[in-house]
Amino acid sequence: MTWEIAIERTIRNNVPRVYNVLEKYPYILELARELREAKLEVLNNLESYVEQTVESVKRIGGVPHVVGNSEEAREVVSKIIGDRKKIVMGKSMVAFEVGLREHLKNMGKEVWETDLGEFLIQLANEPPSHIIAPAVHMSKERAEELVREALGGLPPNSTHEQIVARVREFLRDKFVNAEVGITGANAIAADTGSIILVENEGNIRFTTVSPPLHIAVAGFEKIVPTLPHAMMEAMVQAAYAGLYPPTYVNLTSGPSSTGDIEMKRVSPAHGPKEFHLVLVDNGRVRASKDPDLREALLCIRCGRCHLHCPVYRAMDGKWGVPPYSGPMGSMWSYIVFGDPKPSLLCTHSGGCKEVCPMKINIPKVLEKIKARAWS
Amino acid sequence: MESLRSFLKESLDKYDMPFPVDKKVCSGWAKDLPHGGETIIFTSCMYQIEPVVPTLSKFSSMTGIFTGALKGLSSLAKLVKPSKEEIDRAYKILNNVVNALRRRGINPGYLYEDEPYSGALLLEAGLLEDFANHARRVASMLRDRGVKRVITVDPHTHNALTRYAEFVPFDVEVVNYLQLVDAEKKIEGEFTIHDSCLYSRFLDLRDRYRELISKSGIKLNEDFLVTGRETSTCCGGPIALINRDLSESIAEKRAQELNKLSNKLLVVCPICYITLSPHFRGEVKDIAEVIL
Repeated sequence: MTWEIAIERTIRNNVPRVYNVLEKYPYILELARELREAKLEVLNNLESYVEQTVESVKRIGGVPHVVGNSEEAREVVSKIIGDRKKIVMGKSMVAFEVGLREHLKNMGKEVWETDLGEFLIQLANEPPSHIIAPAVHMSKERAEELVREALGGLPPNSTHEQIVARVREFLRDKFVNAEVGITGANAIAADTGSIILVENEGNIRFTTVSPPLHIAVAGFEKIVPTLPHAMMEAMVQAAYAGLYPPTYVNLTSGPSSTGDIEMKRVSPAHGPKEFHLVLVDNGRVRASKDPDLREALLCIRCGRCHLHCPVYRAMDGKWGVPPYSGPMGSMWSYIVFGDPKPSLLCTHSGGCKEVCPMKINIPKVLEKIKARAWS
Repeated sequence: MESLRSFLKESLDKYDMPFPVDKKVCSGWAKDLPHGGETIIFTSCMYQIEPVVPTLSKFSSMTGIFTGALKGLSSLAKLVKPSKEEIDRAYKILNNVVNALRRRGINPGYLYEDEPYSGALLLEAGLLEDFANHARRVASMLRDRGVKRVITVDPHTHNALTRYAEFVPFDVEVVNYLQLVDAEKKIEGEFTIHDSCLYSRFLDLRDRYRELISKSGIKLNEDFLVTGRETSTCCGGPIALINRDLSESIAEKRAQELNKLSNKLLVVCPICYITLSPHFRGEVKDIAEVIL
């Protein structure tokens, strides 16, 4: 019953808001069209864009890492972190995809998710149920219970505001004392090596600036040709998620630096001393060369398709292999984890393709994956 | 999964339908239509047989599959026939469609018991190779019979036939009855509507049937989040063979949403009718029962 209440409230809160945003800022539609073309260009030459990104990251003083699978990703990140213990994470679905948090915890690290939704599912030890709202399956009442049990200090019948304030209070020290900040990336500019992160809570800004070491873990498909395209992706993603303008857009181009003494550029300044970008393949190159699957890589993770899908709604958010759920997740469960079974549950309701900002014909992609499930 | 596929294949080979079906049930509605011709009505036995599909899917849903049940189904299914009331309703709908076509000067032929299945279920389940093979057979049969144009009466058949050309050479024109008929009856009353996913979001027929409904005088009670083009959702029917519990769960939720708008529901698809009827509190009618 919790799911039904939560998803009903989410739909009523979010779906009209997205339509309002798109009506009020019609230029978003044009940006989405342009972004689709730019992303297709990358997908047609994915390996070459990965190489270009690697060179660009080096040029700005960052350290690029290209990994083929989850195991390699975990190994590389562990090596970068070394003996450091205190880690804060800003929401990254690719970090979940490669099993990073659990891996670091098993290594004895103190790891805290700082996005509120991620923090809640970390407390509950549950997988995310939505690509941008990972705790969408939780009602306010369930979130309240979790936070009270884990952190204490919440009065009975706490409001949404009181729950958020308690988590803010708890995480404040974690940000300040963290030795490592791990994030994902909404977009990566191949020409400059910059990453873009869009958010509303401020946790990503803290995570990317406060610790001396920043590691961004992202899939190859997040690469776009230029920095303007990366900014475009942030704007389009935020708008289609119903949160426009986004409160924060974080642009990171390498480690922090200053040129304030004789204009000589030195690093670090107040932000991180080291910036690492871990680019994860995990089936993405293969998918980019597969005409049946290529379109799926255009997904910008706005999560809009979930709320227009009857299967996602009826399955309590458990359609797909976590962290990938819903219509997009059903495609990505196959691309990343090689599991075609979720696709079989698609009823081709079609709302997903209608509302997708990248115009991905999701039912068509799933139809092709279904065929592979039978073979 | 393999047993479901074998079952479908076996049924198609033996009965020319995805389920064991008495073809007389499929063709019994037509009495005076020409046999064949350049323009034919193509029912794919959807309206006629859909009432028994929920019973069949109880056996075949992959959630509770076991080979013994499927093997026994062929003999059982001969006994599983729509009730007289269900057959009468289906036959009335099909005759309404034909009469409406005739009033527009279109006199289609019909293939009676030779009418093949469209292959829709294979396509929608993702059995694409089987669908292509099936489409090849149907295309060849239509070509041999000299058929130039088929008139479909339901969204699943229309979708399957319009996609044949993606899989096999196919140059038969496919039109839907909604594109050809007119709303000639004047109706007073208010309904809400459950759109067909395929008509609405894949086949571009949503505006057409809404135009017909509006012309008939019916007022539709709509809500942006329930009956909008992008916000309305599936009835759950297409997934019944794969996962019946999920299908029922979707149907129940959908019916509850629609019930908030009205206790009178219009549908445009035989699968939607059968899937939603047990969950919707009130009257459910197919558009062809009401406006034709």
